[in-house]
Amino acid sequence: MNNSHQRWLLEQLPQWEHDGLITSDAAQALRKRHAVDGSQSALAQIVIGSLGALLIGTGLIAVIGYNWDDFSRPVRLLFAFLPLLLTQGLSFRVLQRGATATPWVRETAALLQALATGACIALVSQIYNLGGAWPDFLFWWFILSLPLAWVLRSHAVTLFYLIAIALWSVNQVGHGNPWYDSPLLYPLLLLGLLPYWPGWQGTASLSISVRWTMTLSAILGLCSAAVFVTDIQGDYSYYQYDTYLWLWTLTAAVCVLFPLNQAGLDEATGRKPQVVLGSLWLLGYGVAATFHPVSRDILKGTSNALPLPWCQGLFLVLALFALLAAWRQRWAVLAIASVALLPLIAFLLMQGKDDPNSSLLSSLVTLHLAVVGITLIVLEFTRRRGAPRLGAALLSVLIIARMTDSHFSLLAKGSAFIAVGAAFLAFNFFMSRRPQAPTPV
Amino acid sequence: MKALPWIVFGIAALAQWAVPVAGIMQYEQVLAQGSLVKIKCGAPDPYDPLRGRYLAVRPEQHQAGVPQFMKLGRGMRVYGTITTGADGLASITSLSLTPPAGGDYIRLKSDYVYDGKASILWPFDRFYINEKLAPEADKWFAENLRSANGITAEVRVLRGRAVLADLSLDGTPFRDILRQRVK
Repeated sequence: MNNSHQRWLLEQLPQWEHDGLITSDAAQALRKRHAVDGSQSALAQIVIGSLGALLIGTGLIAVIGYNWDDFSRPVRLLFAFLPLLLTQGLSFRVLQRGATATPWVRETAALLQALATGACIALVSQIYNLGGAWPDFLFWWFILSLPLAWVLRSHAVTLFYLIAIALWSVNQVGHGNPWYDSPLLYPLLLLGLLPYWPGWQGTASLSISVRWTMTLSAILGLCSAAVFVTDIQGDYSYYQYDTYLWLWTLTAAVCVLFPLNQAGLDEATGRKPQVVLGSLWLLGYGVAATFHPVSRDILKGTSNALPLPWCQGLFLVLALFALLAAWRQRWAVLAIASVALLPLIAFLLMQGKDDPNSSLLSSLVTLHLAVVGITLIVLEFTRRRGAPRLGAALLSVLIIARMTDSHFSLLAKGSAFIAVGAAFLAFNFFMSRRPQAPTPV
Repeated sequence: MKALPWIVFGIAALAQWAVPVAGIMQYEQVLAQGSLVKIKCGAPDPYDPLRGRYLAVRPEQHQAGVPQFMKLGRGMRVYGTITTGADGLASITSLSLTPPAGGDYIRLKSDYVYDGKASILWPFDRFYINEKLAPEADKWFAENLRSANGITAEVRVLRGRAVLADLSLDGTPFRDILRQRVK
């Protein structure tokens, strides 16, 4: 429960006590259990502090951008290093104050130092008329700013780092780039935030904005790497889209199965963006694969991807995460993630032969998604972690997809659509009347 | 473990100095010890949100011949040997995957390779100027772009590294010309 929820709860307690809903002992116990953390200042303070730092930093960059032609090179270099020195001094003071430093001061100091670092690199490159390769500039900027996220626990610098590594990785998908200057570095760059990760000793739970940014950054970074490894060099260089589409799907499965501690498992699905976005991709991919022409492209991509070391690495991570998920009994996410492996199973069953008439994969996916949909519903009714509405939606989409694919008359298709829609609404109505299950996905 | 944040902060603060300082030392060395080569180029006047006004320097030479047995792909690092002509202007006369044994050379990146020729990406593409001088620089550029001598980029080159030192017209530094015009 975050601070705003706790504040709301504490505000309600006197009224509940007055109305006799809870005893004063229970109210006291709740006050103790959900005390608001006084060390965390309001979000507004942090935002204002960060904005101030951002404005000062941007102003600094603009002043530098003026290009003080009248000064000699050493004097101009002094301009670059002086703000850096000052902001380093400020961060030093904040570190000295330790836990007594308020979060907004910590955020401001970290952000100012990160911006001064960027301004310093920018000015040096301006003085020496260096080329306009912004990815190189960005690379050094986020690498040099990263330690500030660790030592000052700065969310603003963390967000900057996550956005910057994603942008850098997307840009590095270039034909012929060496591996050390490509998105293949992304996993290492993300690991750079390890001390910031949930579960790391002494760290608080990540805010929802950091979680979403981290998930989106990971998706962009890992998907860029997937595109990069499918680079075909020749007279006409290109990327194999059917290959990287399957690698993206494996990445989505990795996201969905990302290990969580008990506190993470107990949270609502909306606070787990990796599960939300990963599931959406996997189910969308699954439904698309039920169509025969698409399934043929997917099979082709699978055979291309299997020899790639990146694909084999993804398999290893996926296997590890799947084992952990099974240990934690996360059956719903395991069921959804299994969609990614169907092309591989079909490929093995067909013994690696490319048969244009085979509808094995599309039939397999149709069957599998139907089982997943039913499983997600049944789990809920057996008091386990399920997702009944998602299961029902999946079954409905599957029926609609098969109907559009069929040769039935428009009248039959229309009637089937109405029946599915009505059944879906009825199920939704039934679920809303039913008591909530104790734990979400 | 209480010392860990301090150690990390110390290393970070030092690195924040070390990276630009290392760059400065390299560029200063090139400017002090590098050979001066003059390359004919064009330069309009765009804007960089982080670093202000600059002239986009585009050397006229944008292709170089690829030796017959050299396997050169897009985005690969390549070394261009510089030869100065009778007019005093330099150009890339050959490409190699390793640094040449002698003479001046520049480290470049290859772009498209087609029909035995590679498009080359120069390591410099901008010359920063003062905001006040920028509009005048634009006019000066337009007036002199197609003059017989044209605008030349004065580049210092040392062990493959190139630093753009100045722009000039008929041997007169670009900033001096602009200051005369602004007066």
